[in-house]
Amino acid sequence: MAEPMNVVGRPTPRLDALERVTGQARYSPDIRLPGMLYARILRSPHPHALIRAIDFAAALELDGVVAVLTHENCDIEWASGDRANPRMLFNNPVRYYGDAVAAVAAADRHTAEAAAQLIEVDYDTLPFVLDAEEALEPDAVPVQPGGNLAPPFGALAGGGAAVPGPAVYERGDIEAGLAESDVVIEDHYVTKHHNNAQMEPRTAVAQWESSKLTVWTPTQGITNCRDDIAEAFGLPYEQVRVICEYMGGGFGNKNQCQDTDLIAAELARRTERPVKLELTRKEDFLSIHGRWPTSQYYRVGAKRDGTLHAIELTGYSGMGPHIKSSGDIAGIDFYQCPNVRKTVHTVHTNMTTSANYRAPSYPQGVFGIASVLDAICHEISMDPVEFHLRNATRQYRDATPYTSYGLIDCIEQGAEAFDWSGRRWPVEADAGPIRRGTGMAIGAFTARLGLSNAVLRLDDAGTLWLHAGVTDIGTGAKTTLAMIAAEAMEMDLDRVEVVWGDTDRSPYSVGESGSRTTSHTGFAIVEAAEDLKRQLAERGPPNPGEELVAEASPNPTLEGEQRYSFAAHFVELEVDTELGGVHLTRYVAAHDSGRIVNPLTATSQVKGGVIQGIGMALHEELLYDRNTGIPVNPGYYGARIATHLDTVPIDVVFVEPEDAYGPWGAKSIGESTIIPVVGAIANAIFNATGRRIRELPISRDRVIGAMS
Amino acid sequence: MKAFANLSPATLAEAVELLGAARANGEVAYPAGGGSDLLGMVKDELVAAPDSIVDLKRIPGLDSIRVSASGTAIGGLVTVDTLAGDEGIRSRYPVLAEAAAAVGTPQLRNTGTIAGNVCQRPWCWYFRQGFDCLKRGGNQCFSVLGENQQHAIFGGGPSFIVHPSDTANALVALDAEFQVAGPNGERSVPASEFFVLPRDNLERENVLEADELLVGISLPASQAGRNGAYRKVMDREAWTHAVVSVALTLDMDGDVCRDARIVLGGVAPIPWRVPEAEAVLRGQQITAELAQQSADAALEDAQPLAKNGYKVTMARALVRRSVLEVSGTA
Repeated sequence: MAEPMNVVGRPTPRLDALERVTGQARYSPDIRLPGMLYARILRSPHPHALIRAIDFAAALELDGVVAVLTHENCDIEWASGDRANPRMLFNNPVRYYGDAVAAVAAADRHTAEAAAQLIEVDYDTLPFVLDAEEALEPDAVPVQPGGNLAPPFGALAGGGAAVPGPAVYERGDIEAGLAESDVVIEDHYVTKHHNNAQMEPRTAVAQWESSKLTVWTPTQGITNCRDDIAEAFGLPYEQVRVICEYMGGGFGNKNQCQDTDLIAAELARRTERPVKLELTRKEDFLSIHGRWPTSQYYRVGAKRDGTLHAIELTGYSGMGPHIKSSGDIAGIDFYQCPNVRKTVHTVHTNMTTSANYRAPSYPQGVFGIASVLDAICHEISMDPVEFHLRNATRQYRDATPYTSYGLIDCIEQGAEAFDWSGRRWPVEADAGPIRRGTGMAIGAFTARLGLSNAVLRLDDAGTLWLHAGVTDIGTGAKTTLAMIAAEAMEMDLDRVEVVWGDTDRSPYSVGESGSRTTSHTGFAIVEAAEDLKRQLAERGPPNPGEELVAEASPNPTLEGEQRYSFAAHFVELEVDTELGGVHLTRYVAAHDSGRIVNPLTATSQVKGGVIQGIGMALHEELLYDRNTGIPVNPGYYGARIATHLDTVPIDVVFVEPEDAYGPWGAKSIGESTIIPVVGAIANAIFNATGRRIRELPISRDRVIGAMS
Repeated sequence: MKAFANLSPATLAEAVELLGAARANGEVAYPAGGGSDLLGMVKDELVAAPDSIVDLKRIPGLDSIRVSASGTAIGGLVTVDTLAGDEGIRSRYPVLAEAAAAVGTPQLRNTGTIAGNVCQRPWCWYFRQGFDCLKRGGNQCFSVLGENQQHAIFGGGPSFIVHPSDTANALVALDAEFQVAGPNGERSVPASEFFVLPRDNLERENVLEADELLVGISLPASQAGRNGAYRKVMDREAWTHAVVSVALTLDMDGDVCRDARIVLGGVAPIPWRVPEAEAVLRGQQITAELAQQSADAALEDAQPLAKNGYKVTMARALVRRSVLEVSGTA
């Protein structure tokens, strides 16, 4: 356990908490500019259709309507919207219910909405396919011209030949491994599209001043958002400014730029007026992505003594019409195993596009592998904690050492805090309708290193100005980074002012994704502070009118090591076998995220991730009507987003092994928090009921169905 | 959402007249109490955009609860929260107080009125998502061959919506009378006759005619109502409608049941009273076996669709448990 330092390691309220709770914080929807127009989008009412004709004459005639965009008059490509196929702002054919067909800019919202309704679209409906495996059948309708099987994401990211095919990872000999195993479990798990459901829907405000474009938008990466916009408009980067002072969460939903940013900018360019484009909650569910649905086939073998010997996963990820993210199904890397084969197909479907949601490929994969391994424990009568102590990863993919390793500590300390030995019952121990059970699962998530940048200015009044190109996506990053600066400069936190969220005022940042802000930007701050302290030692404090300025752009890399954060979660719950309800009664989340910079916000991260995982496990799904291809429940009500009453007090345990990288050994936290949740809950439900539920969400109908 | 006029009549007669006048002019006007359901319907374009809203909140005398020896009168504008917290209701009609407390969220209970809660439109996901379904003038109920997890196991056809109101189930169990005001003056309708099945009227869920308003509810002074409960099963812990619920009152003489009312929610297009289950209890000493028999009788005629058979199991357990709990047998 790391000792608190002067500032780092001490629970610290968010620097901007007061602004946020008093409504002073300025979010993109709060931006109002003189002469600003309002935009609305007309969306496809079909999951797959060819547009024969669009007639927007009546819309243009409506008083106050200034411009209408369609695929016929706008051919801007949204490059980060699809890495496998060209994706325009307006596509023909439309490939999912909610695909953008037209956009209207008008003097006010009501007029824009009314005008969108006046646009007449003549569609030729096409067959559609929702399910990834069905989409790979020979007679399935092609969603994209190249067919429904996408190239493996690694090939796309590497810029190599984008040949369709699954991503394959292999070590050892899987068939021999299965043959050598004493017990083999074969099983199939299914997970669903699960919307990020972040509080703030998308809003973009765009303004051109001569040839310079400014876009206010909620984004998790002002730099990559700016770069995307500049690419779409063929502008040099310095002619685009992206501002995101505050944003209401994203969980991967606001990576890069969104089509809304580009549509607002194009409408503003054509009308020569600022344009605000706001999405409703329903539009946000329909057109901004959620977690990809998966189908996972496992064959897993172990020796009678509990040693894991073979893992095979063949998986299918339904990505919707566009490939924005990996489509991977992750989790098997958490275990030592000599024989592994993983084959994952990323598939085009006519559901809404899937992409990153907090630990994008993990909780769905962990639901599968943690359930299968729990079944092996049951088969060989081994306690899951003992099984995990034996089989948990010691080296990345059994080959590469970790920079620091606290997984065993997480399992042991978590089990102790939970009182696992006192609370683990035989399967289906209760005879009545209410049955208690406990379960556990583990997780790991990269704590990557990479290029980042920080600028520190010490002024003559003794204020330290920290310029960082980050946005605070809700993690408390602004506070964390200020704490790191104060610690490094041996100053009080209240002397630090943070300049952030504006590409014209802050330096490069890779973006707030992959749980890397603390490791990347935090480390750059430490480096810049070293420089600033050297300058201070040489020249003394700045004279009146002077400033000391230091900048650092470190790009640390790892040689022969992997850097990961780890977690072990333990849950106790009650299953009402007649009413189908699952009620959580106890939850312990043990995490190795290296040194914890701010225990207050780090604890909040864990709790938030667990709550999202509870919703994913028990309630949430964007449910599609199979006959029409239309989702029936887009929104907080219909998709059953977890409420406060669905949660349970969550005990958080941090183990803090020393790590040689990042700011004083701080690793990653945001995404690791959701990884084990679904698997732990599913295993506890098995412990309570003796029934293994293989499809998410584990809702009342599925529990009752499993019991009957 | 297009702009509309907000009209504030001072009397019920004026409100009814405003609604009639708007219709005569070919305009769209809606009455609004709390407006929480109406606003969502308008924003989601599930009903025609209104030219005017007739705000009932300024009409005096409709927002009070009056308890007397002969019974209890509840104004239609009493908020769901007020009803849930009212001492007189809690002590005399716990089934109603509990049903009110089970509604939505604190915000919805603070805004929504009892009349609005009873008259809210269906929350079938096809209907709310704007499918061109039977309830919206289309020619099919999409749930029949579709995602019917939440749909009716009783009284369905041709539409399989379930009635969304919690309080409606309690009011049927309490033998309430509904006061209705309209162009032809006031009339009184028993709660048991207020709600209508889709096979009788596809467009509406109750007997209200054009320009008619539910303005008040009267409850008989009954000893039986004092012994009741509302139990609601949801698919998350708050802010949603019942998957299955039961409104139950037991008129007990010691451990013998003199009379019972059992009304199921979430299972039918109207609050679904199950007289067969009540008959099992009547005149009998309540035992675990009897409660199970009553529960079995309640669900005997259920006709589940492809994906909602679980509701039968759930409702059976809920009836059995509620009978045992309210009778003090548990």
